[in-house]
Amino acid sequence: MANVAIRDVIKRYGSVQVMHGVDVDIEDGEFVVLVGPSGCGKSTLLRMIAGLEAISGGEIRIGDRLVNDVPPKERDIAMVFQSYALYPHKTVAENIGFPLKMAKRPKAEIAEKVNYAADILDLTKYLDRYPKALSGGQRQRVAMGRAIVRDPQVFLFDEPLSNLDAKLRVTMRVEIKELHQRLGTTIVYVTHDQIEAMTMADKIVVMRDGRVEQIGAPLDLYDDPRNVFVAGFIGSPSMNFIHGTIAGGTQGRVFRSHEGLELPLPPTAAVEGQEVTYGIRPEHISVGEGGIPVKVVVVEPTGSETQVFARSGKNLIDAIVKERIRARPGEEIGFRIDAADVRLFDRKTEQRI
Amino acid sequence: MQSNKLGWFLLAPTLVVLFFFGVIPFFYVVWLAFHQWNPFAVNPEIVFNGAANFRQLVFDQGFLASLGVTIAFVFFAVTTELIIGYALAQAFMRDFPGKAFFRTIHTLPLIMAPIIVGSIWKLMTTPSIGIIPQFLDNWFGYDLNIGQSALAAFTVTVIMDVWHWTPLVTLTMIAALVSLPPDPFEQAQIDGANKRQIFWHITLPMIRPAILATVFIRLMDALRTVDEVLMLTGGGPGSATRYLGVHIFKEVFPKTNYGYGSAVSVIVLYLTIVVCWLLFVALIAPRNKKG
Ligand SMILES: Nc1ncnc2c1ncn2[C@@H]1O[C@H](COP(=O)(O)OP(=O)(O)OP(=O)(O)O)[C@@H](O)[C@H]1O
Ligand SMILES: [Mg+2]
Repeated sequence: MANVAIRDVIKRYGSVQVMHGVDVDIEDGEFVVLVGPSGCGKSTLLRMIAGLEAISGGEIRIGDRLVNDVPPKERDIAMVFQSYALYPHKTVAENIGFPLKMAKRPKAEIAEKVNYAADILDLTKYLDRYPKALSGGQRQRVAMGRAIVRDPQVFLFDEPLSNLDAKLRVTMRVEIKELHQRLGTTIVYVTHDQIEAMTMADKIVVMRDGRVEQIGAPLDLYDDPRNVFVAGFIGSPSMNFIHGTIAGGTQGRVFRSHEGLELPLPPTAAVEGQEVTYGIRPEHISVGEGGIPVKVVVVEPTGSETQVFARSGKNLIDAIVKERIRARPGEEIGFRIDAADVRLFDRKTEQRI
Repeated sequence: MQSNKLGWFLLAPTLVVLFFFGVIPFFYVVWLAFHQWNPFAVNPEIVFNGAANFRQLVFDQGFLASLGVTIAFVFFAVTTELIIGYALAQAFMRDFPGKAFFRTIHTLPLIMAPIIVGSIWKLMTTPSIGIIPQFLDNWFGYDLNIGQSALAAFTVTVIMDVWHWTPLVTLTMIAALVSLPPDPFEQAQIDGANKRQIFWHITLPMIRPAILATVFIRLMDALRTVDEVLMLTGGGPGSATRYLGVHIFKEVFPKTNYGYGSAVSVIVLYLTIVVCWLLFVALIAPRNKKG
């Protein structure tokens, strides 16, 4: 068990710089989730922590030891690759037991741990198979198994559940959480899945284009996104954004979109006439009398809730409500917004105001 | 139907050539193996003599000795070629200045005809004029004389074969190594394997098919080595380097014993098949069955 400190890390491939000074502090025993759009550098960062990729600048420490030049096998980390990286010539059992065999553990102990992992991962039936005879999800589970038989300083997971079906994904999510609680080992986890990120993380790191946009607890990021990118990336479905300016109305200041739509404002430091982006989450909009008039485009009931896409001028606004709505496309309804739920961003810098 | 006809039409030239130069000679040799034929003798008829050639072969001290030295020769030559070939391939996987140049010139022996290789090595190893005995004498006071020492002659033929054919092994090993996926190697480092463990547990098993194919090719080639050795030692001293190919050559051409030579050829072919089959069964088949 150890903390991981990533300080001003830079990565260049030849003349292309893909990592521009990343700073992340991971506490001992913390579950940290890296999120960000495809190609933002999540895998690269993970590989640098693992030692598979040399870092071009900055430093990485694992448990106070500077590991910039320490080879992977001496870093005592377990990793699940995005591509599974199974040993094609070894059976499932041999794959899972490989790290133990390399550590020269006794045969009985290896067998026991392999069986235990296979049991958790529902792989017992496949222990004698070769990877080529497994489905994508089964391969992914073998890769997981190879990590969880170990007791490393840090676990690194690169989208370990991306190929599993919904049910198995939930099981595995719980399994990983439980593993984390039982061992208390530091985990760095990459995912595209909002729910995984929100439910598993102690701390989420949002990345974009080789930079860290914001670091924080899941709900902090949800409630207090620092900029438009984080606001749009965290939360599903994503936040509605409307461009406009701050205007002085008869009952105090309001937000006025370019098409003249007026929306309520929270207390804000924004000055009159400032170009802003107005953000409101779909789940913070309710439908009712006296709201902002909008025209329904699509209504999508999922049973537990209803998603309504509606148009006001050019802006398409997305709302999620608990009640069932029987509006037809084209019909006019009212969207109600509580000013306290609104997040304002500067139009140019995209930073929160 | 039409494309089928066209297929046969296009294949026909190859099949005809194969038939006349491959199939007919093969059966002809098998047929000859059961006959006595000495075309340059007073009585040049081909006479059926049943299994007499094979009976003679089993009791032929010359043949048995030849078989023994051939096995030793093939074993040492092919093993050494594999080890050096793999090491060179690993070296060529790294980047160093002049890599392309060295990789090219190291394959030069491959394009030389065996008879030339034999001649060059004869020139280099002949006592009193060869460069090798000269240096061995100057540096180590060792007197290399492949005309007299059986061990020296044997060793030199092995070294010559290694010199000639290692580049082939290097090339196939390079081809195998560059086609390996990088992931398992990275994973193995993460899993705590050191260099030696990675070699034994990951690299070797993953290039095993390529190694086996190379061994098959080299085995078959080495088993029928003739011209290089004939040129270098003539099979001597005594019968120290009288490998099967040389043995057959000497039976067939100087002694003009075509029937007996054919019988030995058939046995060599049979041996080659058996050895390759054994290797296959021992090393490839079990894995396929499990998978
Ligand atoms: N060997 C390389 N040479 C040049 N650029 C590279 C190399 N490897 C990765 N990159 C670039 O680095 C960036 C980050 O890649 P990385 O694999 O870390 O993305 P990611 O965030 O894991 O994406 P995904 O979610 O799709 O897995 C990408 O823009 C990629 O094109
Ligand atoms: Mg990735």
